[in-house]
Amino acid sequence: MKKILIAALAVTLSACGTVQPVKNKSASVSPMKFPCLSYSLACGNIPVRKPVKKELEGELSGNIDEGRKIAFTKKRGNCLACHRMKGGTQPGSRGPDLTAYGSLKRSDEETYALVYDMRWRVPDTLMPPMGTNQILTEQEIRDVVAFLQSSK
Amino acid sequence: MKARLFIAVTALHAIVLPAVAETNFNTHPRFEINPELGVAGDFSGTYKHWRDPSAVEQFASVQTDSSNEWMMNGKNMDIVEDDFHPGHLAVDEGEKLVNLWEHREPGFKACLGSGSTDLEGIAARYPLYDEKLGRVMTLAARVEHCSKKVLWKNFKQGSPMNANITLYLKSLSNGQPIQIAVDSGPMKEAYLRGETLFYKRVGQLNFACASCHTPGSIMGNRLRGEVPSTPFGDVSHYPTYRSPVGEVEVLHKRFMRCLKQMRAKPLKPGDPAYVDLEVFYTSMSNGYPITAPSIR
Ligand code: HEC
Ligand code: HEC
Repeated sequence: MKKILIAALAVTLSACGTVQPVKNKSASVSPMKFPCLSYSLACGNIPVRKPVKKELEGELSGNIDEGRKIAFTKKRGNCLACHRMKGGTQPGSRGPDLTAYGSLKRSDEETYALVYDMRWRVPDTLMPPMGTNQILTEQEIRDVVAFLQSSK
Repeated sequence: MKARLFIAVTALHAIVLPAVAETNFNTHPRFEINPELGVAGDFSGTYKHWRDPSAVEQFASVQTDSSNEWMMNGKNMDIVEDDFHPGHLAVDEGEKLVNLWEHREPGFKACLGSGSTDLEGIAARYPLYDEKLGRVMTLAARVEHCSKKVLWKNFKQGSPMNANITLYLKSLSNGQPIQIAVDSGPMKEAYLRGETLFYKRVGQLNFACASCHTPGSIMGNRLRGEVPSTPFGDVSHYPTYRSPVGEVEVLHKRFMRCLKQMRAKPLKPGDPAYVDLEVFYTSMSNGYPITAPSIR
């Protein structure tokens, strides 16, 4: 009993105390941190974040099931809004078909860097920079990449 | 020979590289829009489907394929034979409000009509530059302004009262082609600012309005359930009765809805940035008749 209480306390404390982004869930970031249309608010003058070509550090170690969830959930990756994906219903049609992405034999490194920020390859891309704009955390991108690589 | 080829190749590189370096990550690539053409300048190639009611009827078969429905630009909703949708109730409500307040405070109508109590046709000329006030006014801004000046009330933009009165005024121009001039002075400046905003990348998802409403963008593609369509001809049916939520939606609220989808900070109805966007949008409806009340 006491042990459970202490564990619960530890969780609460760390949840309050951490400054680092939460690792396994997209932390919602205030829209005020991104450019807006206003002539008077500070966000009106924020420039777009510069493209980043992010290197994958260490093994991919992504979770396929978690990645699928992230890719299909509107409030998270919402990749289905633009891509066909394995097992996904009602997909969007603007982006390339990713249902058999794993058969393309692209490296984890390349895929990770593209999902993190497509703009280093396609400067005018419509695909949101998932990592640079903190839409997904690094671990979430690893999960999504694992899901893509497993789609065959 | 080899050396020459080498030089040619490096020269090519020299051409390509600056072009990449010049990419402006803050904006979506621009399109040439000729403001003189108005609605006929539509860049989506869909204008022929919705240019007038007979075209809408002729191309109504397009709707049977849901992936083509965006080509009707929603105008198929304007020919449904439902004369009693709740948008009409909102018009009646707006008319009642105007007459009630005119009765209590004579001068309300004259203020709405910029001196004239004949309110027919005025909506087709908005937004306009008001010399006396020294600013670009939308119709909703006029309603707010007159409520303050004549009634000592505040029919704030975005409020149901303001929306109903604006819709009533718009209905008094039903069928009249939109006609605003953006070729000089403050209206031209507003147009140019609005155009810039249309291409500005904003929000966490890094979209511009143009990312969904220009050729080559998401326009015409399924975004899960919805397909974004051309921005031409849009303002002619605003404010509109939105049946899914059962209320009148003004243009600035629609801007807010798109901005929320973009995960960008939505601004309040009447914001100066929205006024500029409305001028830009309205010029893209120049020559297209007003449909009010409408249902979407
Ligand atoms: C707004 C639309 C949009 C969304 C949302 C989107 N993408 Fe994309 N994606 C694109 C487009 C468009 C391309 C093609 C590259 C280009 O021309 O910009 C692309 C390309 C890709 C590619 C490269 C494919 C190839 O064959 O080279 C991958 C991988 C990818 N997307 C993964 C994802 C993942 C994972 C997500 C969700 C986390 C996602 N996308 C969300 C539009 C989108
Ligand atoms: C992520 C895609 C997306 C972006 C970005 C976007 N919109 Fe939209 N917009 C839509 C969709 C989808 C609709 C509904 C279908 C349609 O009518 O085009 C829509 C509808 C509209 C309408 C109503 C059209 C009508 O006929 O009733 C207006 C006006 C509008 N958008 C303006 C804007 C403005 C202004 C911006 C930029 C601030 C913007 N949109 C950005 C997707 C988008």
